[in-house]
Amino acid sequence: MTDLFTATATPTPTGVLVRFAGQLDADTAPRARQVVADLALSRGALLVLDLGALEFCDSSGISVLLAARNAATAADAGIALVAVPARLSRTFALIGLDGVFATYATVADAVAAWS
Amino acid sequence: MMCEADDDALGDTGQDDDPAFSALLEDSVEDLYEHAPCGYLSTLMDGTIAKINATLLDWLGYRGEDLVGRRRFADLLSVGGRIYHETHIAPTLSMHGEIGGLALELRASDGTRLPVMVTSVVKTGPDGTAQLIRTTIFDARDRRAYEQELLRARQESDRERERVQKLATTLQRSLLPPVLPVVPGMEVAAYYHPASTDAVGGDFYDLFPLAGGTWGFFLGDVSGKGAPAAAVTSLARYTLRAAAVSHRDPVAVLHVLNTVLNHEYHGIDPRFCTVLYGVLTPDADGCSLAMAGGGHPPAALLGADGSARFLELPGGQLVGALPDAHFAAVEVRLEPGDTVLLYSDGLTEARTRGRVRHSEEELLDFLDTVGPTTAPAVVAAVAALLAGFGEGVDDDTALLALSIPVSAEP
Repeated sequence: MTDLFTATATPTPTGVLVRFAGQLDADTAPRARQVVADLALSRGALLVLDLGALEFCDSSGISVLLAARNAATAADAGIALVAVPARLSRTFALIGLDGVFATYATVADAVAAWS
Repeated sequence: MMCEADDDALGDTGQDDDPAFSALLEDSVEDLYEHAPCGYLSTLMDGTIAKINATLLDWLGYRGEDLVGRRRFADLLSVGGRIYHETHIAPTLSMHGEIGGLALELRASDGTRLPVMVTSVVKTGPDGTAQLIRTTIFDARDRRAYEQELLRARQESDRERERVQKLATTLQRSLLPPVLPVVPGMEVAAYYHPASTDAVGGDFYDLFPLAGGTWGFFLGDVSGKGAPAAAVTSLARYTLRAAAVSHRDPVAVLHVLNTVLNHEYHGIDPRFCTVLYGVLTPDADGCSLAMAGGGHPPAALLGADGSARFLELPGGQLVGALPDAHFAAVEVRLEPGDTVLLYSDGLTEARTRGRVRHSEEELLDFLDTVGPTTAPAVVAAVAALLAGFGEGVDDDTALLALSIPVSAEP
């Protein structure tokens, strides 16, 4: 089951890029949350979450995205979502999260908007 | 694999140029046969014991002359084993010439039972006719004890699992009202479908009296699963009940819940819920409904005319995750024959192999075919729809319906 989900963090010129891929649910959320908790965000940096390869995201997954937002806010950093799957966008609209996250089509777009 | 008992002692092996090695070699096949660490038994085709080794005689407490030519192999078996021998072992041997992996019990001369593993092969003569049955017997006492230990552990684990399920069910019940109250001039019905009997779900609902003949109700869904989600459910439920007493405005009630959850759960492990909270104010010929929503799928209004529509609450945000969350409100008048259905997204998120089975639109299409209806009837219809999803429903589902009976019309 472990290979159904991967979370990777890589540094970028403006901050950190985190990629969530696969199934983000109650079983895999703790691993995703740990990746977020281990991020060293500096003031003014940008945390980019690339969700392009996310196949499934339930309420536990959404709580990880909110945890990332809390982490960015606490560090006085920014957060942007990239390549949000259509289904997740729809869920965001349903639960009133549309507009809570800045969203971009690509990582380059997110970084360019931040610089 | 059988020892050739009839053979002469081993001849020159070519190893005798090393005396130390030779001294260690078995020099007597007869001794190897008699005192091998397993039992050997040869019988005629009718089962009569023709030859038996000392090891097996020792295990059973017999002398060779007690058995050879006098008893059949089946006589050494327990009653169950004898039946099994007649119905399975003997026919298999005559058909296939061999049988292995048999777990049997032998009866010793003192009546004790010896668990054994048995393998038999038929020895044929040069013309292909069956002559003898050769049987190897291994002591399986350790193995049997091990199996019994496994079985005990398994039974213990099953009992443990039952206890966990019972605890989860009890806890779940404590998060839902045992019975909905009777609301004068209204019909009410609820349904709860747990996705798993092992874990407490995150769906909750309640219906309760407020001052001045009004009634409060809510239905919500907490993020996550298991015990942490149950703790949030409990906090959400009692916060809503308390806030409902001191705030008449449904949006204000949701703000109280938002503040309480946000203060309790923030940082790296935020918890939230989606919820609809409403107040019913009955009057002479119906009821007014004021409802606020925080990120929850909209309630459906099934009209007396058979139409179905959502009571949209655009812009309402999930409760507890954002300190400055916004909630939406709607007011509607319920006439006799009208039914309101609240549901959790276990219904619209029901998945089969990752595919969404029911969108909100499909649910509305379904409800269009149900109305006009009553609270118990619509809950029964949607519960039947859910049952049709079978294993596809991997999330909890809660339903709460309220309707004004047509008979209440003056």
